[in-house]
Formats: sequence, structure tokens, C-alpha cells
Amino acid sequence: MTKQIDLEAEIHRLLAEHDRIAEQGVTVQRRENVLVLGGEVESAQRRDEICRQITTRYPDLEIACDIGITRTQAPAEVEEIS
Amino acid sequence: MIRIAAVGDVHVDKDVVGRYRPALEELPDRADVLLIAGDLTRHGTVDEAKCFATEFGGLGVPVVVVLGNHDHQSDRQDDVTRVLTDSGITVLEGAATVLKIGGHRLGIAGTKGFGGGFKGACASNFGEREMKDFVGTAERYADALRDALRSVQVDALVALTHYAPVPETLAGEPLEIFAFLGCYQLGQAIDDAPTALALHGHAHHGSERGRTPGGVPVRNVAHPVIKQAYNVYQLLSGTVDTKDTQLANV
Ligand SMILES: [Fe+2]
Ligand SMILES: [Fe+2]
Repeated sequence: MTKQIDLEAEIHRLLAEHDRIAEQGVTVQRRENVLVLGGEVESAQRRDEICRQITTRYPDLEIACDIGITRTQAPAEVEEIS
Repeated sequence: MIRIAAVGDVHVDKDVVGRYRPALEELPDRADVLLIAGDLTRHGTVDEAKCFATEFGGLGVPVVVVLGNHDHQSDRQDDVTRVLTDSGITVLEGAATVLKIGGHRLGIAGTKGFGGGFKGACASNFGEREMKDFVGTAERYADALRDALRSVQVDALVALTHYAPVPETLAGEPLEIFAFLGCYQLGQAIDDAPTALALHGHAHHGSERGRTPGGVPVRNVAHPVIKQAYNVYQLLSGTVDTKDTQLANV
């Protein structure tokens, strides 16, 4: 991991600006030997594409992908607004 | 009583079509209208707009949306709007629509909105041209929202934006990017009208509930925040309803 300081910024921009990704809601956190990706996206394909693009761009980086797929069940409750 | 289903940031493309549908099929039993708070697509292409219309069209309840920043990514927002409108979806930008629900008039005023920040940490209309353009853009959207909110006479008035009108519903996002997530001018516009509820999206890591300085309830309905297909909010509880439901354009 060279130029460590800019890594999170670079990855955030890669995820937002990459044609096949366009995600602004992914978090990037550095642990000792691993980069942890978090947040939620709309499909498993998107999560896999994110990991694939980061692995391709930074082949030496160890990545833990904790990105979830946002659930789409109907709600169980109603909120009364007053 | 009026029941409003709402979600934002569904970011639809081919890979999402079908995911929301089972929950959406239940909508007519659960709500009177579905509001979607922008970021309907990933890149704002016509193909993605068609995917969105397939997923969120033909629902048995009216669907009213605003666009988000993602829907502007390809500079095709007018085409996106046309695709949605052709599918029977109402797209609001500095405009309002009135629905008759159970004998009540529900007004929805919408705009995408813009960033700029909040009291104590906001951008000023000062300095370089680029900075004035940025703040001027935020002010233009907020003024459009104010005019739209004030343009209708209704029993319940809802403001629908993509960007946030208050900082409370951004809690969970890094403070450093609040200025890119919303602006206080939207909150002022909401407070300048008899607004009953303000809905927004955009802040995927924000939190659900807040209030404007004037006391209007604000809900961040970004999909990763609510973590289900939509939320349902009930307005005018305890009022007498009739059977009359129809769309009246203003
Ligand atoms: Fe979004
Ligand atoms: Fe957004």
C-alpha cells in the first residue's frame, strides 16, 4: 500500500466514477492488513463488481467485503405523523 | 386518513428489476400513493429510466417522484423525465401535484434540491464565480420548492426532495460531506408553507428522523436507511374519509 494517505479517496472516486459502478454509499476502512468495504448496494452483481474493480486496480491489497444487499421486503408497520 | 408510502435511492438498472415488485404489488392494500425521493437510476440513462418505469410503474396507486443527482449523471434528465411521464409516473421539479384521497386533498411539492450545508457550516454566495454558481443553484432549487409548496390549497401538504433540508437526518454520514448532502434553504422553504411532512433521500448512511427549525417532521427514506422496500407514513389520522380517489393536476 503505497501512498496510503490517498487510498480511501482514490477508492471512493473509483467507485463513484467507474462506468459500471456509480456507487457513493460504500465505506472504506483500513485495518492493519486488510481494507474493509462496507455499506449496502442494490444487487449482488454490484457488490461483486465493486470487489472485482478494486482487486483489479490494487492487486496487492487484501480486501474484506462486508457490503450488504439492501432488503426489499414490505414494511410491517405504519408511522403516524403528527 | 392518508397513507403515504415512500422510498428513495433505489438506483434501478437491469440487475434490480423484479427485486421490489413483490412488495410493490402489496401497495394498494397498504398505502394511497408512492413517493420516491430521487436517485431512481444509477447513471440517469434512458435505458435505466425504462427499467425504473418497469419496476415502479403500473402499481394501482399513483407514483410521484423527484430526480436525484444520479439521474443527472448522463445529462439526459429531460429524456428520463419523459420516459417516466409516458409510463404514468408524475415527475416533480419545482412543481406540485394534488391527489384526491378518501375525500381529502393531498398536495405534493417536489424538487431535486442541492447541497450547500447548514447553519454554522454553509457555503456563501460570495467569491469565485464557481462558488456563487454553487450557492446560487441551491437557492434556485429552494425558491422553486417554496413556490411549489405555496401554489396549492390542500388538506395535507408534503415536500419531496432528494437533498436533505435538515442536518439531523444526515447523522451517520461524515460531517465533512454534509455540505454535499443538503442545505438549510430547503428547510426554510418547507417552513414557509404549511408543510405536514418532508421526505428526502441521498444520504445513504444518514438516519431516519428529524425536524425543521419550524417543527415540520423530516424523514430520510433513502433505501439503505429504511432497509425495506418502502416506509408508510399516515397523515390526517382521525379524519373522516369518503370513497373519492382521483388524480387532479394543478
Ligand atoms: Fe443515492
Ligand atoms: Fe443522491
